[in-house]
Amino acid sequence: MRSILKLITSVFLALNLIGCVKKEVLDDISLIEGIGFDYIDKKNILGTAVIPVYLPDQPPKKTTFSTKAEISKSILQDIQRQTADPIATGSLEVLLFSKTLTEKLGILPLVDAFQRDPSIGSDLYLAVVDGETKELLAGQYGIRGNATYISKLMEHNIKNEDLPQSNLELFLGDFYQEGKTPFIPQLKQIGKNKMKISGIALLKHGKMVDQIAPDKMFFFKLLVDKYSEGMHRVKIESGEAAVRSIHSSHNFELTKRNPAEVTIHLKVNGNIDEFTGQELTPKTIQELQKQFEKDIQKECLKLIQHFKDKQIDPVGIGHFVKTQTRNFDFKNWRENQYKDLVVKIKSEVKITESGVIE
Amino acid sequence: MNSNVPNSKKISPFLVFFLIHTMQSGVGILGFQRIIAKTAGYDAWMSIILTGLVVHILLWMMFKMLKIADGDITSIHTFVLGKKIGKIFSSFFILYFCLFTITVLRSYIEVVQVWMFPELRTFWFTLALLILAIYIVFGGFRTVAGIAFFSIILPFYIDVLFVVIIPYSDFTNLLPIFDHSVKELLLASRDMSFTLLGFETLLFFYPFIQNPERSKKWAHFGALFSTMLCIYLAILAFGFFPEAQLQKNTWPTLAMWKIIKLPFVERFEYIGVSNWGLVILPNICICLWCASRLAKQLFSIRQKTSVTAIAILCLIATSLISTRGQIDLLTTYTGKVGFYFNFIYVPLLFAGTLIAKKVRNREKHT
Amino acid sequence: MFNLFKNKNAEKESLDKILAKSDDYKCIDYFNQKTNVSFTLKFLTTLIDEKTVQESILPYLLEENFKEIDDAKEIIPLADIQISEDISQIEDKLFTGSVLLTVNGKENKFCFLGARKEIGRNVSLPEVEFSVIGPKESFVESLDQNLNLIRKRIPVKELIMEKLTVGTLSKTKVAILYIDGITNPENVDTVRQRIEDIEFDEITDSSYIVQIISDNQNSPFPQLLDTERPDRISAILAEGKVAIFVDGSPHALIGPTTLVEFFSSFEDYYLNWILSSFFRLIRLFAVVFSILVTPVYVATLSYHYELIPQDLMNTLVASRRAIPFPPILEALFLELTIELLREAGARLPTKVGQTIGIVGGIVIGTASVQAGLTSNILLIFIALAALASFTTPVYRIGNTIRLMRFPFLLFAELWGLLGIVVCFSFLLTHLIRLTSLGRPYLEPLYPPRMQDLKDAFIRLSFDKQRKRPFLLNTNQPNRFHKKAAKDKKDIEDE
Repeated sequence: MRSILKLITSVFLALNLIGCVKKEVLDDISLIEGIGFDYIDKKNILGTAVIPVYLPDQPPKKTTFSTKAEISKSILQDIQRQTADPIATGSLEVLLFSKTLTEKLGILPLVDAFQRDPSIGSDLYLAVVDGETKELLAGQYGIRGNATYISKLMEHNIKNEDLPQSNLELFLGDFYQEGKTPFIPQLKQIGKNKMKISGIALLKHGKMVDQIAPDKMFFFKLLVDKYSEGMHRVKIESGEAAVRSIHSSHNFELTKRNPAEVTIHLKVNGNIDEFTGQELTPKTIQELQKQFEKDIQKECLKLIQHFKDKQIDPVGIGHFVKTQTRNFDFKNWRENQYKDLVVKIKSEVKITESGVIE
Repeated sequence: MNSNVPNSKKISPFLVFFLIHTMQSGVGILGFQRIIAKTAGYDAWMSIILTGLVVHILLWMMFKMLKIADGDITSIHTFVLGKKIGKIFSSFFILYFCLFTITVLRSYIEVVQVWMFPELRTFWFTLALLILAIYIVFGGFRTVAGIAFFSIILPFYIDVLFVVIIPYSDFTNLLPIFDHSVKELLLASRDMSFTLLGFETLLFFYPFIQNPERSKKWAHFGALFSTMLCIYLAILAFGFFPEAQLQKNTWPTLAMWKIIKLPFVERFEYIGVSNWGLVILPNICICLWCASRLAKQLFSIRQKTSVTAIAILCLIATSLISTRGQIDLLTTYTGKVGFYFNFIYVPLLFAGTLIAKKVRNREKHT
Repeated sequence: MFNLFKNKNAEKESLDKILAKSDDYKCIDYFNQKTNVSFTLKFLTTLIDEKTVQESILPYLLEENFKEIDDAKEIIPLADIQISEDISQIEDKLFTGSVLLTVNGKENKFCFLGARKEIGRNVSLPEVEFSVIGPKESFVESLDQNLNLIRKRIPVKELIMEKLTVGTLSKTKVAILYIDGITNPENVDTVRQRIEDIEFDEITDSSYIVQIISDNQNSPFPQLLDTERPDRISAILAEGKVAIFVDGSPHALIGPTTLVEFFSSFEDYYLNWILSSFFRLIRLFAVVFSILVTPVYVATLSYHYELIPQDLMNTLVASRRAIPFPPILEALFLELTIELLREAGARLPTKVGQTIGIVGGIVIGTASVQAGLTSNILLIFIALAALASFTTPVYRIGNTIRLMRFPFLLFAELWGLLGIVVCFSFLLTHLIRLTSLGRPYLEPLYPPRMQDLKDAFIRLSFDKQRKRPFLLNTNQPNRFHKKAAKDKKDIEDE
């Protein structure tokens, strides 16, 4: 009996001694689900954290904390001083940056903290907000909390619509990849409790230099994503059709060197969702295909020319040329070759189905 | 020599596969991609193949030597160098294995401290792991081999799970191939050798293999499997990270886990890091076992005593190392010692054995 | 045993003296008028069937031509008659239900007449290992009856029964059964040696033997399989294992055994192999689930909130919000409640036990959730884990599994998932080191043997079960001869 007592005491003593790993009991921490950053002045930023309060049988109640600081971690520290429970960043879902901040300061110094923190996953959405993030986060969207709303919004648009794949991991990947410019989606508040995706922000060295309008996103996704879905309206003489891409692929080919010439092969398989004309004959389908191919060529070339003018490369042509060339000189590429680059687009559209109506 | 080990304590030849493979896949596999890419860029996967080939040659040499000397490394040393000098040489390996144990332990605990529990006390966790290791070694070599077996089989699902990251990867990163000089590739091969270390334990447990002739092919399979696994992980990491980003990650293998998301588990790296404890466990056990067995053979100390003594030594040493810099230094030194032992000493010893054999044969004839 | 009596005569006298203290000891003198011989019958009334004495012994002794002790064999119509001059046998015989017959004046020669009273229950339904399909008989407390059940199932001369007696006070009869020519004699020797070496006074059940002859007595894992099913014993004897029967125990033991055998119900062999394999896998899953679910809950909620999927977060946090305890206390509280319910259910008579189970389960469960002592999610987990632990077909291993949860819980509290891995490694090492009668306990997992995997996690069809387990190293490795290979038939071939 005595030995058992001794054993129990020693076990508990040992537990006390060894068990000094910091606990983060789920209900005793404040889970930050989203953070927004706004521009104040050259040195200071305003951080807003979304911390939902979970209640039984009810949608989570939203609370936000805002604070002013110089770097992102000190924002968290300052929010620590405002919350009842210690904050935890492990289930962070979205990082938002206001447009002014992205243009003036750049997001890199802010992202660094999140890249370094092992408790933060890579599957984290970044977005630029057209306006102030604080205002955006003040709204009440959906029933699952603001951060979840935003992440779900982006998730389904990436999966089924024309928003290209984007998350922290891909952003960093593009950033570190030489010869590629990162991009992140852009959000805009359009009402008190409403928001929408208002384009794609292109960032050079972390600073926003340009954006893609929503109507160009379909072509942008075709250029940057391996697979893309989305819808495009094609106009021909006999009517207008909405074609939904169900499968697409893109391939780069280096057709000539000095000056470099890159051919981009784009293949789209699509269905017709809607047609305003009288009759959908095989001929009209042929016409639609042709027109769609032309649209793709025109729009994509326009986009690429625009990128070249802006000295950015979100498609990653620089990276592609590098993979085809030994001892590739990026400096030379950026300064001279990229300007002279010739890009050709070859598109191929195949319309496979046209709905259940003949 | 062989007759010393009772048959019931021996292991079947195909378990050698697991012993060799488990020794080669320890903590090193979590972060080798960065190190080899430093010199050879994304051509470094070729360096892995090169190192793998050298490992096979070394394994062949070891089997040859062991067959000639019919025993383990101590008998080779006696065969080549004579009893007294042989003993001195052999006793260095006790230190080598202590160093190896400390490195594995400390590096793993560092991973845990960085990824999961920054407050984890090195001393207490090492104590728990070492008690576990002692418990295993006390069970004899069969138990050690058993742990090696399960440490490959059970966490195997992790290797398969890496498939999830393929959609996020861009394998054109590897292009163009042969963008680096031969010298760079060779340097990367040398760096790679640190990761593939550990197969030298064969020299110590050889007498415990039933029918050692048949274990040859399993040992080679084990080494081949390690090489393949490294190539697999390297190519995945090269596809996943652009070169500049890879250099920023101390543990690329772990960082890749961050993207893995399962329906019931949001983040995988916590499970992975915990599971890795099982992967490194046999490394500690095999090293402890080798060191204590050497102590028994050389100084006739009871193995139970020597295991405990060595474990206490490792415990103290491990808890004294605290900063990233110190750990780096330790890893580098262990890598160097291992490199010299495996890639320089073993071939020399091989040559020595062949010469000694010739000399003896001639003596016999005359 | 008590070798107090050195002198033979003194031995007999003092035996009489001690016996005289017991009221059931009878020593009666009789006189045969035909031959003028007076004789004495000595017996213990509690052990003797008086009807036998009255009908088969006394009438013949009194009325037949009984002159000398040797005549008894001829005149008494009993099978079990033994004439002896060995005084040391007297005590043994008296206490196993014999009547001692001596002719007065010639006390150095005596006769034992077997007249044992048989009190025991009849063969009944198996209660611990019930199965829907298959034989419905189970062992009882009588050794002879149990052996009879086995002999009926294996009516061959190669089935060998060796009897031993163990226990200084209990003098328990133990029988070792094996099939000569199949079973490896090494295993039989090990069993025999270990049983002979038993040093204990009172062996009341086979459970004593299990614990005493186990390879590692300090392990919570049972190292010999115990069963109450004669069909299981006979099938396992045919595999080449050794069975141990203990008088007074309705459970027979089998060895050497492996861990996976504890998770196979004997009903598995009565179902089609696909079904039984599926059920086996479910049972194994249940075991893993039952051990790990609460520790993982504690680890995740205390340390790794990052693992929880976003959609689950709301439910989990909301259910935990009002609870004042850390997850570990919450889990321990519920685990202990379940253990209490089980313990209470096991101690009470069946009908009351069921009521307690239902009342306890429903009332305490709902009340503790409503009172904010536990979260309802954990309640579901714990109830499922308890349910899963009851799926184990062998009762003993079920207990072990319930116990296993607690060290896992402690380690989970200590280091989260890492702690679970450490604890698992300890368990794994323990299992690797464990042996059953000197054979590896974790076989066919480790040492890995493909051949024995045919009847481990899954059970393949009977034509794939041609080989006896490699583990047993049997003298005859094949169970049946393979028929000459049939030609592979094509579609619509005859």
